[in-house]
Amino acid sequence: MPDTLRGSARSHILGIVLRLLPAIVLLVIWQWASGRVIRTIYVSKPTDIAYRLYQIFASGEIYPDLLTTAQELLLGYAIGAAVGVTTGYLLARSPRLASIFEPYLMAFYGIPKIALAPLFIIWFGIGLWSKVALAALMVFFLVFYNVYMGVRSVDRDVVNMTMILGASERQLTRHVYLPAAAPFVIMGMRMAIPYSVIGVIVGEFTSSTRGLGLFIVQASSNYDPAGVFAGIAILLAFVIAANAGASRLERRLLRWRPSPSGTQHQEI
Amino acid sequence: MRVDETNVVADAGERHDTRAPALEFDRVVQDFRLPSGKGSRRVLDTISFAVRRGQFTAIVGPSGCGKSTLLHMAAGLLAPTSGAVRQDGVAITSVNRAIGFVPQQAQLLAWKTLRENVELPLLLRQVPRDERAERVREVLVAAGLAGFEDHYPHQLSGGMQKRASIARTLVYRPATILMDEPFGSLDAQTRMVMQDDLQSLWSRYSATIVFVTHDLTEAVILADNIVLLGSQPTRLKANVAIELARPRNVFQPFHTNRFAEFYDRVWAIFQSELARPAAETVAANADA
Repeated sequence: MPDTLRGSARSHILGIVLRLLPAIVLLVIWQWASGRVIRTIYVSKPTDIAYRLYQIFASGEIYPDLLTTAQELLLGYAIGAAVGVTTGYLLARSPRLASIFEPYLMAFYGIPKIALAPLFIIWFGIGLWSKVALAALMVFFLVFYNVYMGVRSVDRDVVNMTMILGASERQLTRHVYLPAAAPFVIMGMRMAIPYSVIGVIVGEFTSSTRGLGLFIVQASSNYDPAGVFAGIAILLAFVIAANAGASRLERRLLRWRPSPSGTQHQEI
Repeated sequence: MRVDETNVVADAGERHDTRAPALEFDRVVQDFRLPSGKGSRRVLDTISFAVRRGQFTAIVGPSGCGKSTLLHMAAGLLAPTSGAVRQDGVAITSVNRAIGFVPQQAQLLAWKTLRENVELPLLLRQVPRDERAERVREVLVAAGLAGFEDHYPHQLSGGMQKRASIARTLVYRPATILMDEPFGSLDAQTRMVMQDDLQSLWSRYSATIVFVTHDLTEAVILADNIVLLGSQPTRLKANVAIELARPRNVFQPFHTNRFAEFYDRVWAIFQSELARPAAETVAANADA
């Protein structure tokens, strides 16, 4: 038994190493090729980027940008997700509301939201709220759509059964509709994470006084590729952290689902 | 859907006429709209029968004859096109929260553990916590599910899910329980064990049971009387009393005294239906 335990721990570590390998290979090739195959001014190089990251954090120059973007992301995401879940749920439960609003929502769904960025700058100014609005809008549609489909796909027989067992409308929401739609809600919220980043960064590109998007634009106009990549690396870290959080939440909320491999879930 | 339905049903229960049958189908007609949208098809044609309190009634008929439809009407999930279904003398007009319903598929809530699933009807009925725990424990032991309380439905076998579905119904002690081919999807052995368990649970909880099945042996060995339906448009063919002593041996029905006699009597009526393909008797009814 201890042997197999040690074996599984070893294979777990091996799995992590194998997963990191492509990234390491990429970084090594990048480092080597920069200045040899491609000019450093185009692609910078990993050590330069690492140094640039160290610089901007050590000097503290990045913090105002970081703080602004983080605020915009959190606000935009929270507002978009909350309105998306509520609207999706209400429309899925009320055929009348759905028949009125569905065509409008589907029409808006088709508009490239990024095209609204200049409009939002006019409406909400060049500060925080135009970015929040853009991110919220992008998050809203994804979350709304998933929740709407999720709640509508709840098995009618299960709903009937639960009503016979004594459920009122409110109890149905709590015991049937919300948990049954949870996988869809979580999927929508997960998919929305990168979109909230797109919304905020595009907003900042368009017009802003502070933020990571502005930092990237300025680095690019100063011919500072290391700065551009440093900004991108911070955004990447944001998305990875948010995804990890979503995975945790997903495992917690959806532990009732059969795991796809048929074994107990494996901590990654 | 109104929130006050529970109260309506509860009130109806208070006023009920104790001399009325537990469940009564009174000239029930059910038409289903054709998939084309034009016209409708008569599924159930003027069905009348009554289920006495405490009795085990089996409804038997060829597949597609509308057996389940009868139960759905009794559960208040479907209104009859004409006629009425009455419980304790009161017509059922909305979702019937005063009965128990055991569906074909177990239909446990996948996101709740076995314990939470069985506890749910008590929670919905605002039974105090201590009493909930006690009743859930008791019914899980009676249903042979002790030790699996924290399993999720997907971790239980088909037979155990079925037991859980029955336990979830028994736990709130409905006076009448509707069962829609509950053992249809089980293998032969599990099925016999479940039939035996159902028989003992029934005598223990003394409910009125309406049990839909297409299996004659199952119907004869379990029921006090069998309602036989023809093929569509379905009419009542016979209501046969099965006067076999209890408890009955479900594992060896043919060793049960007089089993063959009752089986043959039911079979003689049922036989004529099997020879007739249902399709020939389907009549489109364009005026509805």
